[in-house]
Amino acid sequence: MAALLDWLDSRTGYRSLVRRALYEELPRGTGWPFTTGSIVTLLVGCQFVTGVGLTMYYVPAPSLAYDSVRFIMSELPLGWMLRGLHYWGASFLVVAAVVHMLRVFLLGSYKAPREVTWLSGLAMLLVILGFSLSGYLLPWDQKAYWATTVTINVARSTPILGEYIASVLRGGPDLGALTLGRWYSAHVFLLPATLVTLIVAHIALMRMHGISGPIEPKTGRGEAFFPGHVAKDTVMMAVVFASLFTVAALLPAHLDEVANPADADYIPRPEWYFLSLFQLLKYFPGPLEPVATMVIPGVVIGFLVLLPFVDRHDGRHPLRAPRRMFTAAMVVIGIGVAGLTGLGVADSPPGYDADWGLLPIAGWQIATDAASPCARCHTSGGPAAPLASTRITKDEEWLLSHMADPVALGPGVRSAQEPAPRAMMSRFKAQAVVAYLRRERAGRAVPEIDASGRLAAVTYAETCVACHRISGDGGTMGPDLTRVGSRRDPASIRAVIEDAPAVYGETAMPPFKSRLKPEQIDALTAYLASRQ
Amino acid sequence: MQARQPAPSANRRGFLVRLIQTVHVGIGATLAFVVGGAVVAPSFTRRAVRWLPAGRLPQLQDGVPVPVTLRVARPDGASEVVERRLVYLVKSGDGVRALDSTCTHLGCRTKYNTETRQIECPCHGGVYDTQGNVVSGPPPSPLQSVPTRIEDGQVLVQV
Repeated sequence: MAALLDWLDSRTGYRSLVRRALYEELPRGTGWPFTTGSIVTLLVGCQFVTGVGLTMYYVPAPSLAYDSVRFIMSELPLGWMLRGLHYWGASFLVVAAVVHMLRVFLLGSYKAPREVTWLSGLAMLLVILGFSLSGYLLPWDQKAYWATTVTINVARSTPILGEYIASVLRGGPDLGALTLGRWYSAHVFLLPATLVTLIVAHIALMRMHGISGPIEPKTGRGEAFFPGHVAKDTVMMAVVFASLFTVAALLPAHLDEVANPADADYIPRPEWYFLSLFQLLKYFPGPLEPVATMVIPGVVIGFLVLLPFVDRHDGRHPLRAPRRMFTAAMVVIGIGVAGLTGLGVADSPPGYDADWGLLPIAGWQIATDAASPCARCHTSGGPAAPLASTRITKDEEWLLSHMADPVALGPGVRSAQEPAPRAMMSRFKAQAVVAYLRRERAGRAVPEIDASGRLAAVTYAETCVACHRISGDGGTMGPDLTRVGSRRDPASIRAVIEDAPAVYGETAMPPFKSRLKPEQIDALTAYLASRQ
Repeated sequence: MQARQPAPSANRRGFLVRLIQTVHVGIGATLAFVVGGAVVAPSFTRRAVRWLPAGRLPQLQDGVPVPVTLRVARPDGASEVVERRLVYLVKSGDGVRALDSTCTHLGCRTKYNTETRQIECPCHGGVYDTQGNVVSGPPPSPLQSVPTRIEDGQVLVQV
């Protein structure tokens, strides 16, 4: 073995390379604060490795993207962990990159002659944010679709060039397959290539100028990089990796319902690291929008870019003049970002993750009932896969047509002259089944529900759904009933159902006392009163 | 100049090197397990065995191959494919055999000829009898037999 390595060294000279890499002398007093960079490197490495694994299964097309992520999460052995590490790794990476930048700022490590090192670092921070932005479109769920719509609208607010930038980002007039293709390509080819180039440059520059070391240089012999400092790096890497692994193992990566471009009521909310920008938008409506999307972020980035050129004084202590004012500016930026993020979290719309409402429950009953028309074909060994494993992520219109007329190949194919067969399933029922399939696909377990709840669900799906919305499903003509139980007591809920005109005077809601059976009204009242 | 004490320093160095090696190998092995596992695992999953209803026994005639088209939807990774398979059901007494209709020569679809009472391949003139044995022509082996089972008069074919 030793002879083989000797031979390899004689032909490649690898030992001198390893020696040069490991036995660099660091300034005396280089301590724990200088481990932040290796944490970023570790997390970038993790994202690369898990990302390569994910690309083997992910399909960048609207019709399959969501199903392929679902496949990774629920069928691929270890797939949930693979995606968990990549999903949470993204958040860890953003935090680690910002912490690294703050460390460099606080210790004044960006000062001459390390200006270009600082700039390459800033460029990497922007690339990492670009990764996050392009990455969360890929699962093609509701959140991906609508948050990306907002991103593109933000780009559109750029003065003069806005429309062009937005068109290039979308790849066409609408957000769709063309958008997904180019964002995927950017996420797996363009951005990684850029990041690798920048990392190589960043580390080469760091080695060229040496580590900046402690604020007040200490006299005496330097310290060896290996093993002393590498051990510190390693301990920090172990802690961060263990935390990432624990989070990924305990909290499954988020997957919303499949993207529905027709659902304009969905309230988009970006990942937490873009929440501050998103919140800022709310304070600058209409023509002032570019202030939030361009001016303020531009000022912050401009400040960071110019920092090493403006701060030319020798002293590196963050609290001594003249560095104090830069520190103050950084604190203001920090408070601004943290405060806006906090407000964004407080402002976020309620999620319906575990809340099924009524429509999906009704759909679940219709689809899984013994007499369900779906089961004729969607059965093990049948001409179509069982509902639980069927993969068609067709659009809603196709699904509704298919449920009414299962042999139709596409909605609207039959001409007006040809009589359509009697619908296999009414549109109300089909809508309920679609709502069920969307929840079920998103991996939400069917909640426990009693007979009264089931009756309420079916009644709602046949009657109330046209005007009233619960947990994101249903019409918007009447009030949203998601939290009706906190506004009204059971008696007044019953009174409105039985005879709305008597309660409100003029109203579009007809009396239901004679149209519904007493037990249906009982079930609805009980369910709605429980919606606090 | 005071003599250095090499022992403790060497110990410390040895400990640090071992720590570094252990952690890096640990992180590498964890990632390799998760990523490698997810990459390799599907390669070793077997296709699920399924029994599909192909017809009712009383409706079959002794020794007459009845062509049956089976459609089966199966998952294909994140996608789904519907496979079509044509088999002949051949009844003999209480038992029934299922023969794959694919010619064993070059994979053409064979056809049952009711006049000659033989199964014929249109491509190169291969001829089989009703039990799938080669009568003449180029086929190297009998038609492939597909496992069958009978439940309450219903013929189930394994795919």
